[in-house]
Amino acid sequence: MAQAALKAWPTGVKGKKNLPPLTGDKLVRECGLPIAELAVDAADVQGLVFRGYGALPECCYPLLRIEEPERGRAFVRAIVDRVSRGVPAARTVAVQIAFTSLGLSALGLPQSILQQFSRPFLEGMVGAHRSRFLGDTGESSPKRWEWGGPSTPPVHVLLMLFAESAPRLEELLAEMRRTWEAHGLSEIRILRTNPALLGKEHFGFADGISQPAIEGYHPVSSRLHLVKPGEFLLGYVNEYGLYTERPLVEAALDPFGSLPLDVEGSPRRDLGRNGTYLVFRQLRQNVVAFRETLDALTRNPDGSPNRQAREYLAARMVGRWPSGASLVEAPHGDDPTKARNNLFRYHHEDRDGLKCPIGAHVRRANPRDALAPHPGSERSLEVNRRHRLLRRGRTYGPELAPDAVDGEDRGLMFIALNANIVRQFEFVQHSWLVDPRFNGLYGEADPIVGMDEQNAFTATIDPVPVRCTGLPRFVTVVGGAYFFMPGIRALRFLGRLPTDTKASS
Amino acid sequence: MPQQEPLTVLASVDLRRAEALTDVLREMREDPAHNPVLPFGALRGWHFGRVLYLPPATGLEGEPLPPKLLLLGDCDGSARAQLEALVDVGGTNLDRLFGACEGYPSSPSRAARLAFLRKKSVATKANYVHRQGRTVEQILGERELRRALREFVARERLDGVPALEARRRIRAFVRETPRLRWALEPPPPLPLSFRAKNALHATTLPLGLLAFGPAIVPAVLFLLLLVRLEELRDEPEHLRPTPEHVHALTELEDWYAHNGFTAGGFVKPGWVRQAVIRSVLPLIGWGTRHLFTRDSLAGVKTIHFARWIPLDDYRRVVFASNYDGSLESYNNDFIDLVAWGLNLVFSNGLGYPKTRWLLFGGATLEQEFKDFLRRHQIPTPVWYSAYPDLTAVNIERNAELRAGLSGFMNERKAKEWLRLL
Ligand code: HEM
Repeated sequence: MAQAALKAWPTGVKGKKNLPPLTGDKLVRECGLPIAELAVDAADVQGLVFRGYGALPECCYPLLRIEEPERGRAFVRAIVDRVSRGVPAARTVAVQIAFTSLGLSALGLPQSILQQFSRPFLEGMVGAHRSRFLGDTGESSPKRWEWGGPSTPPVHVLLMLFAESAPRLEELLAEMRRTWEAHGLSEIRILRTNPALLGKEHFGFADGISQPAIEGYHPVSSRLHLVKPGEFLLGYVNEYGLYTERPLVEAALDPFGSLPLDVEGSPRRDLGRNGTYLVFRQLRQNVVAFRETLDALTRNPDGSPNRQAREYLAARMVGRWPSGASLVEAPHGDDPTKARNNLFRYHHEDRDGLKCPIGAHVRRANPRDALAPHPGSERSLEVNRRHRLLRRGRTYGPELAPDAVDGEDRGLMFIALNANIVRQFEFVQHSWLVDPRFNGLYGEADPIVGMDEQNAFTATIDPVPVRCTGLPRFVTVVGGAYFFMPGIRALRFLGRLPTDTKASS
Repeated sequence: MPQQEPLTVLASVDLRRAEALTDVLREMREDPAHNPVLPFGALRGWHFGRVLYLPPATGLEGEPLPPKLLLLGDCDGSARAQLEALVDVGGTNLDRLFGACEGYPSSPSRAARLAFLRKKSVATKANYVHRQGRTVEQILGERELRRALREFVARERLDGVPALEARRRIRAFVRETPRLRWALEPPPPLPLSFRAKNALHATTLPLGLLAFGPAIVPAVLFLLLLVRLEELRDEPEHLRPTPEHVHALTELEDWYAHNGFTAGGFVKPGWVRQAVIRSVLPLIGWGTRHLFTRDSLAGVKTIHFARWIPLDDYRRVVFASNYDGSLESYNNDFIDLVAWGLNLVFSNGLGYPKTRWLLFGGATLEQEFKDFLRRHQIPTPVWYSAYPDLTAVNIERNAELRAGLSGFMNERKAKEWLRLL
């Protein structure tokens, strides 16, 4: 796979030097660190950071509430050895766990430590400014959410359960339920997913193709996608050559020595190391509206439907064809042989968006080399690497057959992992997806997730731009929260928090 | 076409009347464009306006610094003339705003108000204008033009029509539409008097360097060395902003295409930093006036206007700007594109992240820098924009669209031009 990536590296693209991947000596030179220190401690990291568990198609997400600190900690102690790590990779079932800031508080984490977590995590996903910022207004407004909103029970714990088969998942869920019930946690809801749609989403497109690779874990990758571990894990160097802010704990508060040392050399212990922030948003997809709108926009002059034009328009909105082939590489029609290609860029290939519209979802969600400074250059990619997301979501709800209409609830359990919620998830969501003025556009939010009631989209340029207007909202947020997914040692620490820390904070 | 000038009124507030003043500001905040005290929307040629109150503070040597009222405008034409317009539009209501200031006339007439405002006006040392000469009228007109052309192109189903033919039809449409016809002419140039003055000003720096050249080089190097010694001793503390402060700021943020940014802080003690800040601000002023004059402040294309204002004889400095998008993206642009420029000025500020040789480090310490800016940001509830839906890039593209209506084009050029629609 890595070898293939190397071979597929574009050669001889006009005005651009070939950039070798960052390996060996070069890696040491650029990071000023010996490899040993860079290598990710995968055994202490929850496996979801490295894999989406594609081989375990069955999955559900229980949301829980801790009723009492000591029993909550007992639950963490009871489950910690079941939690799947980066190595060895889970084979038949996997269990991952994450906490909201309310959850950490409910475990009895002292305020002095809790307050060192990042601001959005502490504030939570809802709040007037944040909702405005993320586009969670109107129908997506948190007051209408089914969970995670101001009028629904507070969420403390997120479990993520994966299994190779449906019976195995039910078994795992039953086992987990026994454990959380034994420790007095209450069940808020179980979010189910659709195993049949793995690798695909409800609008009909392949998903989960483009992901960043983590330096120090993935051995070799193209510079386009190879990102410093500190962008996805706390306690490692990030794309600024710095350590992202993270909670550090006085040694005295870690009497069992559960936690790793602060890599920056302070006498404190690192509660953040090998952990990451997990952004969870339940995004309902209105597939019927999506199809009907596209259908109405692409009818023949005589009023008959034009299936081909409809598929073309949908692909323009996404930026990839249903197979996954990029419009940059396959501008005229789907080409399944290019389905997994992910080494294309935008600037030299398609500066003006003639092949893949500037406003297409994938081109907004990751503009690659298309933005300042110096579009098309290595500098542009360097800045781009500071805004990458590891996506680990799954679809939910039944697939809608072609030409069928129903009222079923379906969509995407969107999960993104990042070390800096503000610079990564919130920046991508706001500045690239929701902002109708992204990259010189005017009045065009993201055509897939833009939370605008009256959206527009420039679909083609021929030679005048052809704009679709009056696009409704296709995706609605129905729940969500910011979580912290700790490393294994951090989990042990949380399970053994002293009982009286509340008083000492 | 008039130039853009910064208008700055800075007055000390009588502490006893400060409370009444905050009430007035609260009233203005309800609707900066139409509020009865100073309806910014009624001021012709104001791109941006803001009023802020700086509460009393204590200087680094324990000296009391009185509270201040700061009125800023980014205006078309001369600031002098705009001050008159301000007095005419505000009328007696200005008394409510400035009545709390020391030295405000007790029985104000139009002349007395004007005299007060003139007296309290300060010249700006360093001011950035995204594009000198582009007036509010032009910006709003070109926005209308874009809307009209988009409608026309959709209505006439111009897709598929060859580029030159499409352009010909668009031009015919503009010609036949009286309310758009102005767009066929390019905007008039800046007044000759302004250009002459500017050209003269451009020579000051090279001439000064020439005249004092031999003396300046060692002096600068010596100063830099002293700065370096200070930097080595500097151990700024990384503090996070309080949730309350962040809340007061975010409440006002991200309503429009752009935000107003105001930040202020103390200059580090000692003559070295005084010497640096007093020479750097005019230097930046020269640069923004003669180098960064076309839609980009050293690579940042999202700033409409920006300026630095020294307070209390350079004991404090306030920075005020109007930028597109979110504060996070603004900060990222700072770090990724012009860290050196920020370091040059802000590193003279107390508590700024550690720099090396005045230009390096500092802003590149991402989180520390972002927290520093947040902590020094001043909530600015009374803030006005004449075109809240437009980014600087939108404005540029609208201007290019208009410019392309005149002149000769071949097929290729016409194609490129049509993409702006
Ligand atoms: C229901 C909502 C959404 C749907 C249907 C959707 C669909 C897709 C599809 C089909 C792709 C192409 C497959 C791939 O490149 O892996 C994609 C890519 C991507 N999406 Fe979404 N998406 C949704 C929401 C979001 C949100 C909310 C974000 C971020 C805040 C996001 C960020 C991304 C990113 C970063 C990529 C990869 C782009 C690249 O690296 O080229 N998506 N999405």
